[in-house]
Amino acid sequence: MKIIVLNCGSSSIKYQLFDMSTADVLAKGVAEKIGLHGSFIKHERMDGSKVKIDGEILDHESGIEYILGILKSEKYGSIKSFDEIDAVGHRVVHGAESFKGSEYITDEVIKKIEECIDLAPLHNPPNLKGILAMQSLLPDVPQVGVFDTAFHQTMPAEAYMYAIPYSLYTKYGLRRYGFHGSSHKYVSVRAAEILGKDIKDLKMITCHLGNGASVAAIKGGKSIDTSMGLTPVEGLIMGTRTGDLDVGVLLYIMQKENIDYLNANILVNKHSGMLGITGVSSDMREIESAAEANNERAILGLHMYHYRIRKYIGSYAAAMGGVDVIIFTGGIGENGPESRLAICKDMEFLGLEFDEEANKGKRGKEVILSKPGSKVIAMVVPTNEELVIARDTERIVLNKKKK
Amino acid sequence: MSETLDDFALSKRIQKKGSIQKVGIIGCGSMGQEITRTVAQHGMDAVFIEISEEKIKEVFAQINEHLDEVINQWGLTVGEKRIILSHIKGSIDYNDIRDADLVVESINSQKPGTNIEMRKDIFRKIEEVIPDDVVITSNNSTLMISEIASVLRHPERAVGLHFISPTSSIKIVEVIRGIETNDASFDFVMKFSKMIEKQAIIINESPGHISSRLIVTLINESCEILMEGVGTVQSIDTTMKMGYGLLFGPFEMADRIGLDNLLKWMDNLYAEFGLQKFKASPIIKRLVRAGYHGYKTGKGFYKYEHGKIISQAITATEFN
Repeated sequence: MKIIVLNCGSSSIKYQLFDMSTADVLAKGVAEKIGLHGSFIKHERMDGSKVKIDGEILDHESGIEYILGILKSEKYGSIKSFDEIDAVGHRVVHGAESFKGSEYITDEVIKKIEECIDLAPLHNPPNLKGILAMQSLLPDVPQVGVFDTAFHQTMPAEAYMYAIPYSLYTKYGLRRYGFHGSSHKYVSVRAAEILGKDIKDLKMITCHLGNGASVAAIKGGKSIDTSMGLTPVEGLIMGTRTGDLDVGVLLYIMQKENIDYLNANILVNKHSGMLGITGVSSDMREIESAAEANNERAILGLHMYHYRIRKYIGSYAAAMGGVDVIIFTGGIGENGPESRLAICKDMEFLGLEFDEEANKGKRGKEVILSKPGSKVIAMVVPTNEELVIARDTERIVLNKKKK
Repeated sequence: MSETLDDFALSKRIQKKGSIQKVGIIGCGSMGQEITRTVAQHGMDAVFIEISEEKIKEVFAQINEHLDEVINQWGLTVGEKRIILSHIKGSIDYNDIRDADLVVESINSQKPGTNIEMRKDIFRKIEEVIPDDVVITSNNSTLMISEIASVLRHPERAVGLHFISPTSSIKIVEVIRGIETNDASFDFVMKFSKMIEKQAIIINESPGHISSRLIVTLINESCEILMEGVGTVQSIDTTMKMGYGLLFGPFEMADRIGLDNLLKWMDNLYAEFGLQKFKASPIIKRLVRAGYHGYKTGKGFYKYEHGKIISQAITATEFN
């Protein structure tokens, strides 16, 4: 089966073309600056050849059209005809309580995704644009929606409810949802595979540390808590997001700076996080360089970042009554040995004996970070959300065909 | 010849018909700037036409200042400001809008009474450079689009599109069909309104639409109350602001509109309707003649410093 996986953002589309018989990525790329000046598509084939093609991309439908055109082209293509495409999988950020798993796209499903737009006004609309564009360009190809939130729908109520008037929960669906579901799912399953253990016997803490970052507590293969909430703002300190914040602070700022909820939203999403604290950048590499050059605020930012993650690891271990495996993934999780060290040192009380040598310089590879006798295993598992989306898509489409 | 994405289009078609990529804006005073910023903020290119290179520099300085202020209020990031500015160009040459998908006229004529003629002149100039079916809109508040459009060879492409300041927070626009306006042009403007995230209020053409007509009567009546000595500038404003939830009291609103603009509106509406309620209050005439034009000149019904009210500029007893 050949499956296209799409991840549509507000001004970009990431895509991968999978051959499911081998799980090979035949082609992948990204269309950037959709609807803006200077748009382009960067395309890469399985043989490693890369190309960047400039051109005006007005909207998501045009972007997907060009992507399909490139995939079929003589010069850069990987398929000869669109008949070769068996299905398309879409990453949809917010599925609220309507979606506990991936779903075959129907008009009803599209309607339900639209209803979730209120909860994710920045993310769901472009996801939906991708679905509708594919429907119009490849009307006969089955589509599946894979939701970032679905993996966390197994959380018990004591983990997902907020202590606000209950009526507000029933009226608006205000509760913790959590994101990066496909990533947390992939790395936890893969880790169990690597360790040769049954995931049902494991208590795992997965740390997806990228530009957006979240931690999940996974017991017996099921998510039982996660750091992001109703929106991706909650939890860890991120590139430009606050993470956990006393709500009183936000209310105070709104009053004293005389700003409305719209500007307050921009404040906590784009002006805060590592950028807000350090004043250097939202990029971890730039902050680490500044810290090495003794920039005090950069050093403070890094301390805060690591400390917040440590607290979550501690609290999730308590939540699960112990921990067996701690996994690092995402841009920083996979490529930040200094961060991993700062987070994992002095965790012997938890049963983790961190192996500094094994950790040093390791980037982008599956690697064990703990000493051989350590009760708790720490490891890096590079994420592959697209593969999860492709696998889910395949499973659902095959199931549908059986019926 | 280097390849572009167009080489990979599935069906060889050029840009989708009806898409709005570039908007021409004639006149970049305070209202023109607000419209320019709105267009650029929504990812479209904005090309504004002004009367001199000096004025163009001034416009960019003012837009820069405004965006910096929004950043200070946490409403924008530095990166986003850069993107917005990259969408804005200024020119003194009408030829630079010949490929615009939409042209918005938003001049602010200085001499009262020449307003309609100036706008007709500009419409003619626009029509000389753009294709026959490109829509032209006018932002004016009290004149009739049917009259302005009458000088066009193709009046059916003219639509009234009235913005209210400050456009960054006012979520409506008034859309007015002229007598000749065709469905395609009207629908196009409705689509544009959606693209800039404004709710379109459909107006059956009448001087002052809804907004200007109502605000003028409110301000005039406030002046009456002031002249009778019933209250002060401050007390009248506070009553309406806190009593009825208005964003600004009537006098502060008048200052923000600009008393010279307001006077023009009142003169036009009085000329159209002949009704006393639209006749400009003597207070307003007096302030305008004395150069008290409101917020933008630092003096109107209030005195302003660094954009904040510091005191009333006049008291009721002057008119007893």
